[in-house]
Amino acid sequence: MPKRQSGNKKGKQSNFAKLSIFQPNKYKFKKSCPLSAKGAPTVDYKNIRLLKKYMSENGKILPSRITNVSQKKQRELSLSIKRARNLALI
Amino acid sequence: MNLYEHTIIARQDTSPSEIKQLTEKYSKIVEKNEGEIVKTEDWGLLNLSYLIKKNKKGSYIHFKIKGKGNVIDELEKNEAIDKKLLRYLTVRVKKFDLEANYFAKREGEDKYDKKESYRN
Repeated sequence: MPKRQSGNKKGKQSNFAKLSIFQPNKYKFKKSCPLSAKGAPTVDYKNIRLLKKYMSENGKILPSRITNVSQKKQRELSLSIKRARNLALI
Repeated sequence: MNLYEHTIIARQDTSPSEIKQLTEKYSKIVEKNEGEIVKTEDWGLLNLSYLIKKNKKGSYIHFKIKGKGNVIDELEKNEAIDKKLLRYLTVRVKKFDLEANYFAKREGEDKYDKKESYRN
């Protein structure tokens, strides 16, 4: 999973290559939160596959500035990741 | 009345009949305290991601309980001294999702995942 996210980051950086700093931002820089969109899966401590997307390979929680998760959902995520850790699922 | 999700992990060397006994034992405790078991799920023997009391695997049992707080008090009191169990976790939820079963249906989950990856 982290590979895909690093790809995202690269795409974002290329957006920054513009002529001048004062040029207006025509393009969207920020991606919307993947968990707040319509039809997005609910964050749950039993859904390990979903949780693993938002964790590093070492089992650490990825920061929301990398994954673009909203504040509210990030709080839910971290809580459910910790629950899953307690059950030795992750 | 509250809704609770309750999960217990039993040792790896418990036989299937013993697991049945355990589920019955704790279901009885729930019923004694005027609680109601909406659903029980047996997730089976899963690999633990780290050792717990030198166990590599554990059999997971998941309850969905409707009842008051004293049910959970009584359950956890009994589970803390049970030597067959490794861990327990209780979570209060606002709503049960009775459809999603993340540990039984493998195929459905795959489809779900693919959709996700497109969005990313």
